Amino acid sequence: MMDAVSISLAARIIIDVLMAIGFIFALAGVVGLLRMPDAFCRMQSSTNVATLGMLGAMIAALIYSICIGAAGMAIKLGCLCVFFIITNPISSHAIAKAAYKFGIRPKDKMVCDDYGEDQEND
Amino acid sequence: MIELMLFAIGYAVLAMLVCIRLVKGPSGVDRAVASDCVDTLTTVSLALFAVFSGRSIYLDISMTLAVLGFLGTVIISRYLEGKL
Repeated sequence: MMDAVSISLAARIIIDVLMAIGFIFALAGVVGLLRMPDAFCRMQSSTNVATLGMLGAMIAALIYSICIGAAGMAIKLGCLCVFFIITNPISSHAIAKAAYKFGIRPKDKMVCDDYGEDQEND
Repeated sequence: MIELMLFAIGYAVLAMLVCIRLVKGPSGVDRAVASDCVDTLTTVSLALFAVFSGRSIYLDISMTLAVLGFLGTVIISRYLEGKL
């Protein structure tokens, strides 16, 4: 929207702070994804991007679209947030299980390995 | 409100940074994790741009991208697991 709508200063401050928090978390996740030593650590950093790095910016956009009075956009953004919250644990669980089955182990010695013990007992 | 556009550009730059890991990841699992991350960052960037420009069509595109990214991640991990 160009500058046809005007929103209050408090709403602008809240939106900017939420977007800045989300961007800082996403930046931390990306730096961890680039610099962590093995695949499981990188998975943990990727989760950092997918939870608060996404949710901060999405909630900021939700508040902005409520302030400019676009109800359709707000409903779509809410659906997107709920979809991400539901599907991120599923996909990261699938990737972690695939990494274990693929033969990737943590770089240092593992302290406990319950899944492997279960596989051996069966 | 120009900050929405600035943060959308910032998220797009972060998605391009993740492409480094996507190119040089040692195994397939690293590439799957990085592609999931690229998908999330691109979705957020598109949503911010949609809210900035006031057009709802970009939001539809970002919802489609989120669904397809989730399906792709699950299917790639099933393949790496050896059950596909």
